[in-house]
Amino acid sequence: MPTKLKLADTAAALTRLLEAFEQELIESSDEEIMQAAKDLGMNPRMKGSAAFAGLKYRARLRLADFYDLDRFTQPPEIKDHRDK
Amino acid sequence: MTNIFSPLSETRRALRITPRMQPFYPGLVISPAETALARELVTETDLLRLKAIARWHARGLPPDVAWDDLLQEAFARFLAGSRRRPQGMALVVFLAGVMRSLKAEHWRRVVQETREPPALPVAQDPERALIAWQQLSTVERLFADDPVVLEIVAGLAEGLAADEIRRVHGISRIDYDSARRRMRRILLREGLTTCPQS
Repeated sequence: MPTKLKLADTAAALTRLLEAFEQELIESSDEEIMQAAKDLGMNPRMKGSAAFAGLKYRARLRLADFYDLDRFTQPPEIKDHRDK
Repeated sequence: MTNIFSPLSETRRALRITPRMQPFYPGLVISPAETALARELVTETDLLRLKAIARWHARGLPPDVAWDDLLQEAFARFLAGSRRRPQGMALVVFLAGVMRSLKAEHWRRVVQETREPPALPVAQDPERALIAWQQLSTVERLFADDPVVLEIVAGLAEGLAADEIRRVHGISRIDYDSARRRMRRILLREGLTTCPQS
């Protein structure tokens, strides 16, 4: 498929494709979703199921989960004590 | 460059619902998605459906923007009221649209902040085009074992309707529906896995 496309057209093609996939997933039944989870070895009815990673809890931990990274983006305050 | 999906974004800070430290301190903060679940705005199956949609939409974004950022930001904006759902529209459909618009917003910012004038149209941004090319190759590999599904996927990428795809490739209605079910199963599996995206 990409071999038939010019590089400049790929973004538009991917957008169209993802929108079509979105529609397919919206139309998918609850049974199909549960079956897909089962195929992956997940049991969404179980508390703490891996299926809910990123939804009910973080999929992966990041620095921002522990530190306020905004502090590092601000320049440190430098005080001039000579006038005192 | 401003990352609109930053975990410390204004919306989340204002809401105090950043999903920080969630696994260790349950109850201290809950994620926007869980807030919606607690308020019975969505079901658990809806959450999984949205997860699959978010994982697929994140394929059109740079790797530093994760699918859960995209989805939680959509929930956060809905809960904060900055995005209003039209009356009668299902929440899943609405949030999928919010995610689409967040993606477009991200690429507009990338073009505005990083490119020298005269900037290229957003759709022709070289980085975006390269990401798209790689992702289209990945999708092609994903369905490589199923030629009928591959024909449908190629038709969808060209913007063809179902009837046009069937006519161009000579696929019967029964075969088309059957291939669509196989395609949907792979889309769901790929959308629900916990593995990082390839």
